[in-house]
Amino acid sequence: MSTPEVYSIAKTPVTCHAFNADRSQVAVSLNDNNVQIYAKQGKEWILSETLSEHDKLITSIDWAPNSNRIVTASQDRNAYVWSLSPDPLTGNLVWKPTLVLLRINRAATFVRWSPNEDKFAVASGARAIAICSFDAENNWWVARQLKKPIRSTVLSVDWHPNNVLLAAGSADMKARVFSAYIKDVDKRPSPTIWGEKLPFNTICGEYSSPAGGWVHAVGFSPSGDVLAFASHDSSISIVYPGGPVVYNIRISSLPYVTLTWTSEDALVAAGHDCQPVVFSGSEQGWGLIGTLDDVTASSASKTHGARTGTVGRLNSAAFNTFRNADTRGHTGGGDTASDTELLTVHQNTITSVRPYAYGGEGVVSRVSTTGVDGKLVIWDVNAVSALTGKMGGLRV
Amino acid sequence: MSFRKIDIDAYDEDVLLDDELCEPDPRDPAQVLSDAKQKQAAVRSTLARGDIPGALGIALDSTPYGSNVEEAKNLTLQTVVSILNSTKSSEINSVVKALSQDAQDTLMKYLYKGMGMPGWGDVSGSVLLGWHEKLTEVAGTGCIVRVMTDRRSV
Repeated sequence: MSTPEVYSIAKTPVTCHAFNADRSQVAVSLNDNNVQIYAKQGKEWILSETLSEHDKLITSIDWAPNSNRIVTASQDRNAYVWSLSPDPLTGNLVWKPTLVLLRINRAATFVRWSPNEDKFAVASGARAIAICSFDAENNWWVARQLKKPIRSTVLSVDWHPNNVLLAAGSADMKARVFSAYIKDVDKRPSPTIWGEKLPFNTICGEYSSPAGGWVHAVGFSPSGDVLAFASHDSSISIVYPGGPVVYNIRISSLPYVTLTWTSEDALVAAGHDCQPVVFSGSEQGWGLIGTLDDVTASSASKTHGARTGTVGRLNSAAFNTFRNADTRGHTGGGDTASDTELLTVHQNTITSVRPYAYGGEGVVSRVSTTGVDGKLVIWDVNAVSALTGKMGGLRV
Repeated sequence: MSFRKIDIDAYDEDVLLDDELCEPDPRDPAQVLSDAKQKQAAVRSTLARGDIPGALGIALDSTPYGSNVEEAKNLTLQTVVSILNSTKSSEINSVVKALSQDAQDTLMKYLYKGMGMPGWGDVSGSVLLGWHEKLTEVAGTGCIVRVMTDRRSV
């Protein structure tokens, strides 16, 4: 059971993060219009570069592992593709941005490279998804838009392994699977469980959770045959299109805003509850397994004022309350002295969870999370402990 | 000059309508009203026998929701609140635990609806709050979030 690696990289919220291929660098957006690239030095992450080109807050970053390109999407309705190239003056490798004309009239909310890294999808508040591919003839990125039947902001997208299908979760309470087949870029895909013969902008499926709620995160399983989405009604839904069957797991804590599959039968979700949670199942059914954040172990080290060793009336709660007030300036009871600190590792909403390290056969062994508290944490996916009744930080 | 008086929003083709976001109640409004009345009678008889979990089960099953069934919704609300009022506070915990997840979510919706009605605070405020506390202990904050997000308003 390995403990999570916790790095406090900023005092501001981390909106999104993306690691490079060998995990030596991470690109983050600290809730502003710059991309900060941190490099791992020893046990710390040191800021190595700042990429400034966007005018407004950067909402999403993705780093393509093979072609080593970064794509960033921002509230200024633009996306930039950054690639490393030698600077003509100094000869160093610098990140050069290329503007992508998305033709959207609202903010871009989410961006992901396709598995083959020849396309990327940008979700936007303009009720459209821009699929961008590189036009070698003109040497620029061309965007085509998926519009129908999206009725509200698209909050997240995820690519199917075949590079053609795209899942999108939107604020009109629906998760949809689109075909994003671009004629000159993609070869005709072989039929999948989602359908065959799929021209651009075909809907292969539309799903929603019974109680509705914006769909914050979507994800295809590693094989692409299963779709999972997390919606604002505090539930996770798993869709088996072959069934067709949809499992909806209602959870008793606050909604999840991000999820990632770790293997064909397990996924990790995280969000407003401030801890990553593992779900597992198969075509027969799904259930909540536990949390990656061992709340009970850490709480023992966080209790203030409980002195072991002193005996009798000197160890009473009342004595400790007054002693804390006197020596430490803690007013309030011994328990509420640590009132502002949550029991979980993350102190605020987790904004993004992504696969970090792979075990055998494409199974994810570790995931990385960033949150509104400015922390980057790397978790071991197998270190699952039971979800206690404490519901993260909630004190009933 | 009559163009100043036209309702421009009525001509907006791209507006997001409420029934695009959630399915409206498939039953006929008159049917829904008669169902609600039948349930009220059934609940009264079950309460007279002292069977609280049974009564709550009947009341929370296939509740009316949506826009064109106002009377049925009010009727069902009164039915539910009458059950809540007649439960002893020591029994609330066991009753709540025995409910299905759907029923728990629906009960929470009625609690919030009751708390939102003007003037009810004096009459049944403490009852509603007591039930709210016990229900949150069992169903968690997720239940409350579902009340907020579910467009099938009760």
